[in-house]
Formats: sequence, C-alpha cells, structure tokens
Amino acid sequence: MKPFAPMPLSIKLPLLAAAMMILVGAVASHQVLRSLARVQDARIQELAQMHVEGLSVALGPLVLRHDVWEVYDTLDRAAQGGEGRRMILTAVADDRGRVLAATDPRRVPMDSDIAELAGDAVALENLSVDGSRPVLSLLAPLIYQGRMVGQIATELDVSDLLTERRRAVLILIFGNAVAIGLLSLAGFVAMRTMLRPVTTLARQMTETQGEPHQIPIAEIPRGDGELARLAHTYNSMVDAVAAKAEAERRLAERERFVALGRLSSSLAHEINNPLGGLLNATDTIRAFADRPDVVRRSADLVERGLRHLRDVTRVTLDQNRIDTTDRDLGPDDFEDLKLLIQPEVSRHGLDLEWSVDLTGGAECKMPAGPVRQIVLNLLLNACAASGQSGRVGLRARSGVEQLTLQVTNTGPDMPQSALDRLLDDGPLLPGGGVGLRLVRELVKGLGGWIAHAHENGVTRITVGLPIVREAANAQE
Amino acid sequence: MEHLIKRRTLVQAGIAALVMGQARAQPVFRLGLTPVFLDNDAVVIDGLRRVLSRGMGREIELVQRRTYQEITGLLLERGVDAAWLCGYPFLQHADLLDLVAVPVWRGGPRYQSYLIVAAEDPAAGLADLRGGTHAFSDPDSNSGYLVTATDLRRMGERAETFFSRSIFTFGHRNVVRAVADGLVRSGSVDGYVWEALAEIEPDLTARTQVIARSEWLGFPPVCARRDSVGAEPVQGLQRALMGLEATEEGRRALASLQLDGFQRATPDLFDGIADRMRDLEE
Repeated sequence: MKPFAPMPLSIKLPLLAAAMMILVGAVASHQVLRSLARVQDARIQELAQMHVEGLSVALGPLVLRHDVWEVYDTLDRAAQGGEGRRMILTAVADDRGRVLAATDPRRVPMDSDIAELAGDAVALENLSVDGSRPVLSLLAPLIYQGRMVGQIATELDVSDLLTERRRAVLILIFGNAVAIGLLSLAGFVAMRTMLRPVTTLARQMTETQGEPHQIPIAEIPRGDGELARLAHTYNSMVDAVAAKAEAERRLAERERFVALGRLSSSLAHEINNPLGGLLNATDTIRAFADRPDVVRRSADLVERGLRHLRDVTRVTLDQNRIDTTDRDLGPDDFEDLKLLIQPEVSRHGLDLEWSVDLTGGAECKMPAGPVRQIVLNLLLNACAASGQSGRVGLRARSGVEQLTLQVTNTGPDMPQSALDRLLDDGPLLPGGGVGLRLVRELVKGLGGWIAHAHENGVTRITVGLPIVREAANAQE
Repeated sequence: MEHLIKRRTLVQAGIAALVMGQARAQPVFRLGLTPVFLDNDAVVIDGLRRVLSRGMGREIELVQRRTYQEITGLLLERGVDAAWLCGYPFLQHADLLDLVAVPVWRGGPRYQSYLIVAAEDPAAGLADLRGGTHAFSDPDSNSGYLVTATDLRRMGERAETFFSRSIFTFGHRNVVRAVADGLVRSGSVDGYVWEALAEIEPDLTARTQVIARSEWLGFPPVCARRDSVGAEPVQGLQRALMGLEATEEGRRALASLQLDGFQRATPDLFDGIADRMRDLEE
C-alpha cells in the first residue's frame, strides 16, 4: 500500500471501493461464465446424445447389414434436418472401425479408418465447449440391441456457442465497466462529501501558517456524528493551544520582570549606596561653601555618583525595553549586562570572570534583546547556584559561523528539574521557575543550541547562536 | 413431377387407395412398383394410379417394395396382379411371366444404361474406374447392374474384384446421388431416369457426367403372370395403358413420367438383355 500512502483519503477510499467493485464484478462475471459454460456443455452433450441415440436406433440394423447406401441416406437425410447445422460431419463405422458412410464422403471415404477422423475426439461425457475450438469431435459407440455394432464420429460446430460466450464476455465487461464507472463516480462523490470535514480538518492542521485556526462553524457537519465531534474537539484543541501560547507569552513577559525583580534589591542597594555619599557631599558643599576646592571635589563626587545612578537606571530601563527594540547586539550590551549583574555578584560576594571578545565578526545581525535575556537569566541562575564566595564567569566569543556564550559557576551541579527545563521541551512541572525554559525558547527561536557540562566542580552552560551574515541577510 | 415426396406418403396413399378399393364392388387391382424405377414420386405415381383406375373402372392398389426381387416374388406368388419390372427379371422368369405393355420413350420402347462419374472425374470409360468404388441400383436391374457387370465380364473382369467396393442403392436416383455426393466414384444408372432427373433436378445430374452409354435395350416392361395375362383385370390394365394417350388426363400422366405412351411388345425386344445375361452366366 506504500504507493498509495501519499494519496488523499478522499481519492483512496473511492479507489478502494472501485477496486472492490471490480473484484466483485470479476468474481460475478466468472460465475456467470462458468454457469454459461456448464449450460452450454449440458446443451451440447444432450444434443450429441440425442444425435447418437437417434442414429443408433436408425442405423443399428443397417450397420449390422453393412448397408452402405442406407447408412449414407439416413445420415444425409438427418443432416438436412435442423440438427444438421450443428453436426457438420457425421461418420459411421462398423465394429472394426472401417467407415461405412459419412455425411461428407469426399472427406471421409468409405472403408477409411475412423480413427483418422477421430484423432482428437472425446467421449460423450467429456464433450465440452472449451473456448478456443469452434469444432468439437465426438466418438461414441453405436449400440444396437445391447451390443456395440459400430462407432459414430461426429464433428459439432460450436462456433455459435463460442460467439454467444464471447458476446456474454463483452456484455459483462462493458456492463461491469459502465456499472463500476458510475458506482465509482458516485462513491467518489459520496466519499468526498462525507470526508470533506476530514479534508477541512487536515487543511486547518497542515496548511495554516503560524498557529492553527478553528474550523468555521459553517463547515462543521450537523448533528452529533464522529466528524462533528472531531471538528469540535479540534476547535477545543486549537483554543487550548492558543491559550497555552498566550500563557507562555505572559509567563515569558513576567519572567523578564521577575529577573529584574530578582535584581531589584541589588539595584536598590546600588542606588542607595551612592546616595549616602551624595548626601554627604551635599552636606560638605553646604558646610564648606566658601571653599571652592572642597566644593569642586564634592561636586565631582556628586557628578560621579549621579552618573553611576544614571547608568544603572538606563540599563534597567533598557532591559525592560528590550522586547521592543530591534537593535543589533554589540559590546555595549555586554557592558550593560555586567553592570546589571554586578550588584548580584557583589551581594553574594562572588568573583566575576568576564571575558567578552566580539572581534571575530559578531557585530552582526543578531537581535540584542533575546541575547541579553539569555545571558542575564543564565548569569542570575549561576549567581544563585554559586552560593557565597564562589566564582561566576561569562565568556563570549564570536566566530565566523556562530556566537558562543559560556556561563560558568562553581556551585553544585544543576538539579535534574532545572536541566529538563533548559535542555528539554517536556511540560513544565509546577513549582519550578520559567527562567531556564525562557532561555531554551529564546535559543530555539534564534536557531541555536544549548549544552551543559559539570567538570571539576564547575558547571558550564554553553549556548551557540548562529550568526546571520550580512550577505545572506541582504538576499533575504 | 414437381415434388419428391417421402415413401411414407406413398404408403399412406396406397393405404387410402386400398380402403377406397374395398369400398367398391370391383376387387382391387394390385400393381407392383419398385423405387428402383422413377423413385418414389407420389404425385406422379398417384396421378398414374388415378388415370389407370379410371381407365380400368376399378380401384388400383400400388404395392411398392424395395427391390425387384421382392416385387418379382410378389408377382410370381400372386401377391400383385401385375408389376412394372425390369427386362432382366422379366427374362429371368420368362417362363412364368408375360408382357402387358412397354413404355415408349423418345419415340421407341428402348433405353440405355449410363455409366456415370462425378462431374470433375477424369475417367473416360469403364476401364478407368478400376479400384474405385461403384454404385449399382439393384442386382436384378438391367441398366443398374447387368450392363456394367457384363461389360466387365467382356473385359475379363468381375465386378467384385474390379471395383474396390460396390454397393447397391436400390434406386436409380440414389445411384446418381451416391456419385454426385462422392460416396462412390462411379455408378450404373438407368439412362431414362438420368435424363428425367436432368429435367427435374438438373443440379443433381450436373454434378455427374455420363462416360459410357450402353446399346439401346428393351425398356422396363409392365408384366403379369403368364396364366393371368389374358384375364380381364390384366387386359383392362393393358387397355388403360394403351389408352393413356387418348385422354387429356392420360397425356398429363405420361408427360409427368416423360414417356410418350405404352405399346404392346414381344419378348424379342429384350434380346439385347438376354445376350448380356448369357455373357454373365458364361
């Protein structure tokens, strides 16, 4: 059935129905032809038997007397009758097989051996219109008064029966062809109509771009049939899929704020720390207003503090806005990330190993937002995993083909549930965060890959993101 | 002679005649015929019967047998009052039989025996037929047996050995059929019958050809027992036969038989046949 596999169901089923009808038609035709053959055989056997019996009665005494003329005259008169048209030749021989007379004496001369005529002749009970031969040969004993006094060889013209059989075959073939054609067409239309909902369902499932769409109510079959239930179930599934996608989108959105939330205390601290210095500086300015050098130093101090505050605020705002920017990734983004993660690093008393080298061509067409989210989430996770006084690292390298990001920490290895969220597409178990799953989704969206390793007490998450070249981009 | 009718019809006609005859005051006159001569045409035979019956003033029963031997036997044992025989059986029993009348055909009371073969047969005479199959009409027929048998005897041959096989068909028309259909290669047939068939069944005779004709021999006569030939019934028959030409009905009957009439005859008419009989007996 493999060649039929790509064929749509609405073609396959009518074809199957037509094939079954052909099979049924062939079997029925075979039965009809067999019956016809049996009837014809019975007819020809009955006719031949009557012929032989009639001749036996008429010719018995003549054959006994070897009365050639009377045998011939009887055969000749019999041949003039209706039977004669079927019996194209009849020869009668004596008990030694010598021909006494035949209806065609020139073909079967007197005193010739009847075996020469009856070479392929069969006995009465084996007489059969077997298809190809228009003339059948029969050899029967001539029984008179209970004993065999001679033999009768007869050739029967069965061409009309063969013609009848051929006509029956033609009628059957033509009739079956017309019937099967009409029924197949009707079957095709009926099947197509019945299967339209399935076709619609298949189209909705396979041909929709982006997300699946519901089957319009007008196209759902009426009633409570299987197909109607199937369509309703499909629509419910589409709803569920859309709801799930929306939930995931909202979750991802929330995750961004979660990440910022997780940063907020650190960031507050980051803002709060300079504030004490700044207030001290303003007090100093106020107290030593007459001392320009002190005022200048204090103003410098205030300016540095305010610039730091401005940077922190900008980075925070940028991080919050990343989904709306279509800016390409650049070294500044990593600087922003370093600034964002620094307070968390400081809070945990961690060592930060920072190594970013994008000179290999990564100033490339790669959206900044998703990459920043990926790195931030991984770094936050690393910070949390490292515990106190650990080591967290980021290594970013741009190659010809891809940008490689490697986030390390010296904490314990990731639990299996976290790995599942990062490396697998399985359903999210309740209770876990969505940050790692968001990383996975973003990496997938960028066509990249994620690897995990834990060696020598260092957990290493490596992300590879393919770089879209300018030329390729231009072609698109 | 428009229809060739089966023998059964003839028998029925005979039975009908018998019944009618019994109803009359006069005893029925029984006339013997053989299918050897002018085979079984009931219309012709019945026409002849009616005109003779009228001429004789009594009913005639036609008694038909298969062979000359049977009819001759009937005549000799008085099973029939008279019979239309052949010259050969008449001569065989010349001591007991006498002539009543002889048909006149083509101006005379004589006919010939024909030796026939199929139309496409290259044989030109009896000598060319050696080893072939042959059809005689009746062992007691002059034209249908005696002529060919004596011709062979004169050639120093015998029919039993000259031909690979010979059959008797007991009818001159049957001889023509046997040759025409190819059942046998050659046949001995009454020339009068062959010529009559050439008129009424030309398709049949066209499939044969005459390769030899005998000398003119005495036509098959109507005979009666010598002891009854002078009696009234036979005399009545003789008068009726002689008088056929006189009536319209009689002429029609003669025309259908393709005969000119009947005449008296003496045994010397059959001298030719007697010669052949002697040749055969030697």
